[in-house]
Amino acid sequence: MNQPVNKLTAIVNAKAPYSNAAGKDALDIALIFGSFEQSISLFFQGDGVWQLIQGQDGTIISVKDYLKTFAAFEFYDIEKLYLCQESLIERGLTADFHIDQVAVLTRKEFADKLATHHTILRF
Amino acid sequence: MPTLHIVRQSAFNSDDLAQCLQVLRDNDVIVFIDDGCYNLHHKLMNTIDSKVGIQLKVIGKHAQARAIKIDEALYTVIDMNNLVELTLTTSRVITWQ
Repeated sequence: MNQPVNKLTAIVNAKAPYSNAAGKDALDIALIFGSFEQSISLFFQGDGVWQLIQGQDGTIISVKDYLKTFAAFEFYDIEKLYLCQESLIERGLTADFHIDQVAVLTRKEFADKLATHHTILRF
Repeated sequence: MPTLHIVRQSAFNSDDLAQCLQVLRDNDVIVFIDDGCYNLHHKLMNTIDSKVGIQLKVIGKHAQARAIKIDEALYTVIDMNNLVELTLTTSRVITWQ
C-alpha cells in the first residue's frame, strides 16, 4: 500500500499590506493551518515583501494592523518564512524586518524552495 | 517535476508575469489565459531563455477574442480541456492573478 504523502503547502504573499485584504486573508489561512498542526510555509515576493518591513503602523491610517499578529507565528509553529531578495533590492529595501526567522533567498533559491511544495496559494 | 504557471493578468498593468518569471524553473509550463494573453506583446517574453525547455501555451479563443496573433513557432495553442490535462501532468500549479 502506498504511504500517504506528507503534502507541503505554501502561501505566496505578493501584495502590500493595507489597500486590500489579501495579506490578512493569507494570514488567516496560515494561522488555521498552524492551529491544526499542518505544515505551512510563507513566501514573500514582489510588493508582498512590504508586509515584513520594520516600522509600519496601520493605525495612523485607521487600518487594523494585522501585521502585529505575525509575532504570534512561533506559537503556531509557523517557522518557514522565505523572502525574495530580488524583490527587496528592486524596492531599495534592506533586510530589516519586524519579525525574526525570515530567510532571505536569492532568486534561484526562492524558486527552488517554492518548487519543493505541492500546493501553492497566492495572495 | 515541472510547475504549471497559469498567468491571467497583463504585464502592462500588473507585476504578476515578472514575479512568475522570477520563480520559473527549467521545463516549467506557462499558460496564458484571459488578459494574460496580452503578455504575448510584452517585452518580458523576450527574457525567457528558449534553451531550457520552457513550454509556452495560450488559450486560443482568449487570444483570438482579443485580436492577438499567436506566433505558433513560439506558442502552442490549447483549449480548456488541454489546460485540465496539464494540471494532471504537472507537479504543482501556481495561478498568477
